[in-house]
Amino acid sequence: MIPETRAPLQWRLPPVAVLLTAVVLIGCAEVGGASMVRFKVELTRWARHAMLARPATHGLVGVRDVDERVLDEALVKFDAGLRLFHLHAEGMGLVIIATTTIAATLAGSPASRRPIIVLLTVGGAGYPLGYLVWSGLIPYYGPERGKTVAEWLVWTPFGGATIVALWWLAGLVAWRMMRRERG
Amino acid sequence: MIGRARVVAASLAAAVALLVTLCPAAAHHVGTYVPKDNEITTNFKQIKFSVEAGKFAVARRLFDTGPLQTDMRARAARLPAGLEAGLRAALEGGDGAEVERGLTIFFAALARDLAREATRQTADPTLSREACAAIGARFLEAIWRYYNLVDFAVARRDDRTSVVIRLAFDEATGYAKSIAAPDKLREPLTRIAQALSAFIDASTPARRGS
Repeated sequence: MIPETRAPLQWRLPPVAVLLTAVVLIGCAEVGGASMVRFKVELTRWARHAMLARPATHGLVGVRDVDERVLDEALVKFDAGLRLFHLHAEGMGLVIIATTTIAATLAGSPASRRPIIVLLTVGGAGYPLGYLVWSGLIPYYGPERGKTVAEWLVWTPFGGATIVALWWLAGLVAWRMMRRERG
Repeated sequence: MIGRARVVAASLAAAVALLVTLCPAAAHHVGTYVPKDNEITTNFKQIKFSVEAGKFAVARRLFDTGPLQTDMRARAARLPAGLEAGLRAALEGGDGAEVERGLTIFFAALARDLAREATRQTADPTLSREACAAIGARFLEAIWRYYNLVDFAVARRDDRTSVVIRLAFDEATGYAKSIAAPDKLREPLTRIAQALSAFIDASTPARRGS
């Protein structure tokens, strides 16, 4: 039996602004999910009208048997974007709380702790908005072009920020564990 | 030594966990779309399965109240004369073979009209190659959605027509996928329309007798 000599880990809360951001994000997810159900017909009607007003964008040919399939695909993806926003906003809210708590506790130096927390918060809060942006762009630019815009504007920068922060945090945790083992 | 191994194992586990978590995010998963039946193909399947089960009263009700009949009336000018009346008479008389013939002619006519419209639209000289190929691909998808439902019945009546349409469809699909030669798309589309027209004429009793 090896005697336990280490002091127990004291968990620290992340800054209030971070917690507030995560809670607001989860709130947005819930409101988004509820609105998606409550206004499903209105949203579908609006998206359909917007798409019919832009036949060239969506490649509509004026033949119902062809166009209905194109419109149906775009509407399914429009709905999928709203659902994915709901799903990711809920999940990323919890990810922000969990990862920033780990960063606040285990990242000893403020020089690394602050940027990690900022990246995790901004990246985590911004990434789910990409699905909302994608959904909103589909009626105007089509599913594929809308996806490209959302990727460049939101998913890549915000998702990238989260990925960088998570790797940075993982590296810090591994470094801390190695130092403790040596010490 | 054991401590270092634990650290390495924990680091590896953390890296794997991160990779597993982040890979879907990096792919920006946005779901997949599976094309659904439209109201006409749905109604066709309802009628067909009712006829196959010998439930002609159900099939007639589905025909009388369904979108297939509405569409048949809307396209009456381009369909063989008496198609709707013949189909209804077959449903009332419990004649499964005649119901199948009527439905096959109707869907062949739908596919033929789409092939003709595709030929017309892809002939537009102002269209870019990409636009021409995209329009062709969309029409081919719509043509296949209808023709696929009656291909078996067409092959049973006239296997040569079925083969001609399938070959022309494959050829057209190849041209629609390659933006190098979208102008070649019109030739197989015209062949599809001609083969279906000939099939409709041959399957219509008034023409058969003449």
